[in-house]
Amino acid sequence: MAAIVRPAPPKKHAAVGEEHLVPVYVWELPVRLSHWGIVAAVTVLTWTGLYMNHPFLIFPGPRQWTMGTVRFIHELAGFELIGALMVRIYWFFAGNHWARWRQFLPLTQRQRRSLKAMFRYYTFQQRKPFEQIGHNTLAGLTYIVVYFLIACECITGLVLFATVEGSPTLRFFVGWIPRVIDIQWIRMIHFLFLFFLMAFFIHHVYSAVLVAMTERNAEMESIFSGYKFVDDETIDEELKIASLEPQQLFSKRKIHRTRDWDR
Amino acid sequence: MATEESILDTCRRRGISRRRFMEFCGTMAATLALPEAYTQTIAKALGQQRKPVMVWLEFQDCAGNTESMLRSPHPTIEDIVLETLSLEYHETIMAGYGKHAEAALKRVVDEEKGKYLVVVEGAIPTADDGVYCTIGGRTALDIAREVCGGAAATIAVGACAWDGGLVRSNPNPTGAVGLHEAVPGIKIVNLPGCPHNPVNTAAVLVHYLTFGVLPALDPENRPLFAYGQLIHDQCERRAHYDAGRYVQAWGDEGHRKGWCLFKMGCKGPEANYNCPTVRWNNSTSWPVKAGHGCIACASSRFWDTKSPFYERLPHPAGFGVDVTAGEIGWTVVAGVAAATAAHAVGHVVRDHFHPGEDEVAAKEAPKTEKPTTEVH
Ligand code: HEM
Ligand code: SF4
Repeated sequence: MAAIVRPAPPKKHAAVGEEHLVPVYVWELPVRLSHWGIVAAVTVLTWTGLYMNHPFLIFPGPRQWTMGTVRFIHELAGFELIGALMVRIYWFFAGNHWARWRQFLPLTQRQRRSLKAMFRYYTFQQRKPFEQIGHNTLAGLTYIVVYFLIACECITGLVLFATVEGSPTLRFFVGWIPRVIDIQWIRMIHFLFLFFLMAFFIHHVYSAVLVAMTERNAEMESIFSGYKFVDDETIDEELKIASLEPQQLFSKRKIHRTRDWDR
Repeated sequence: MATEESILDTCRRRGISRRRFMEFCGTMAATLALPEAYTQTIAKALGQQRKPVMVWLEFQDCAGNTESMLRSPHPTIEDIVLETLSLEYHETIMAGYGKHAEAALKRVVDEEKGKYLVVVEGAIPTADDGVYCTIGGRTALDIAREVCGGAAATIAVGACAWDGGLVRSNPNPTGAVGLHEAVPGIKIVNLPGCPHNPVNTAAVLVHYLTFGVLPALDPENRPLFAYGQLIHDQCERRAHYDAGRYVQAWGDEGHRKGWCLFKMGCKGPEANYNCPTVRWNNSTSWPVKAGHGCIACASSRFWDTKSPFYERLPHPAGFGVDVTAGEIGWTVVAGVAAATAAHAVGHVVRDHFHPGEDEVAAKEAPKTEKPTTEVH
């Protein structure tokens, strides 16, 4: 990689003391790509889906193809979403420490502490969010729900697609589903989950901005650049818990090591 | 009692011209999606084949399928195929009654074992040992087991015989089920629809008479020629759907112009049937052509799953009958948005009245530097 674009470490103000912040390459390319792939797809799918459910614009003129076009865009974006989700699922098992599935569950004691602390943080019982390099565990649990919702949208979408597109392969994989759950319930689920994803979107953007503002750790930038800025203490703790070597923490990629590990 | 007549003989006897007979054979070939040349094959078979014996059983039904077959302005050949085949036993139209009628049924079952055809109309109750439908002192289940069990093939006509239909719809007090659930393992063709379309039923019989086998079936034993395609894909209003022209209220401009009925709750996009091509009443019309949305009467459990008939999607269970998925969805979104806004306000208020060390420091210290981007 020729040039790595990264934000400079933000300086904390004097009262807390000059903390030593280390840039850590947290979000690898597949994580960022699938993240933005999902954002783009879900945005398009939400608007086209709302129109397909309730065509709010009427085109009385001749030679129109509005619903046809909207449906076509919806189906294209649908397959893009499926692709992005598959990349992410693969990376649950092949990615770096922070991309793996274990990061999303309260498995270690530290993760459970994080869960409690984040709950206290959001309910104003604590001023600071829990210091963690990857996801905090409360967010991790939310993302599990969100990935589940997206997976459900993909599967129900494919079932609907199989009813309009008679591909034998697709029918083999999803054709049995409407015989178990009626196609109208599939449609209803496909429609209802749209709103759950929309609600998540509101919450997600808000909490990301909130944490970024409180922490001033380039949280928002991290999903573009991949880097987060973490203090020594957190790094030490995370290394200990995960019994990782420093090299593992910083992934295989070339990164800027601003810290002397043998200190 | 074995019928020596062929269908062509019956037509002749009834004064139906050869021309109309050939027309009928053409319709049958078209309905079965066979090439035109098969018209001759069908005509030959219907001229030669002795008519098999057939019985028509009615269980928990409204006789609507019988009506659908009988109530045409003049007897069509479809009627003749169905009627004359059902000579031996048909509760609604046979002359005999009581003991004699039951004896006729018994004779068919005993003497024609493995050769006769059965048409079943209506659901079969299973609750309380099936007491909710008995004929001549025997339960529907008992009769169906015996009569269908000994038949060459059974044709379940209408929604009720297929999956219980209206009788089985929630809360289903009689424990009604469709025939293939009540008597599993029989050779069955399902012809759902409320009611069945007699053209399809005649086509199944014609196929059987012509080729000696039942037509190709889908996993739910419905003939592919009739249930292989979405209504939505065959509908004459489809161009309006794709264009984005929808009826918004009954009798509005779009309705008068014949636009798509999607927003009025049309279930064409989820219903498999050949209604738009075969149509009703001598192929005069069908619901969507007449200006009413499809209610998916040929799809499974349609009273429960396809209602409300005038809305696109069913209502989620557990929220009361009037609450739509959209209302629940927008409420969730509004709730989360409101909670988020409240949280943001709470944050600002707290930091103002109970500033933490951060906020104190921020006030005293010069403004913090914004992160900048540098390229290495
Ligand atoms: C976040 C993801 C998605 C959202 C929010 C979404 C939303 C919607 C909505 C609201 C409808 C209209 C349902 C109705 O009222 O009938 C719809 C229909 C449909 N969606 Fe999606 N969808 C998503 C993902 C997908 C995916 C991954 C596919 C797969 C290709 C897909 C394929 C379809 C198809 C084929 C239809 C039915 C089109 C029709 O029958 O006209 N969707 N979607
Ligand atoms: S009227 Fe119904 S079946 Fe016809 S195009 Fe519109 S939605 Fe589809």
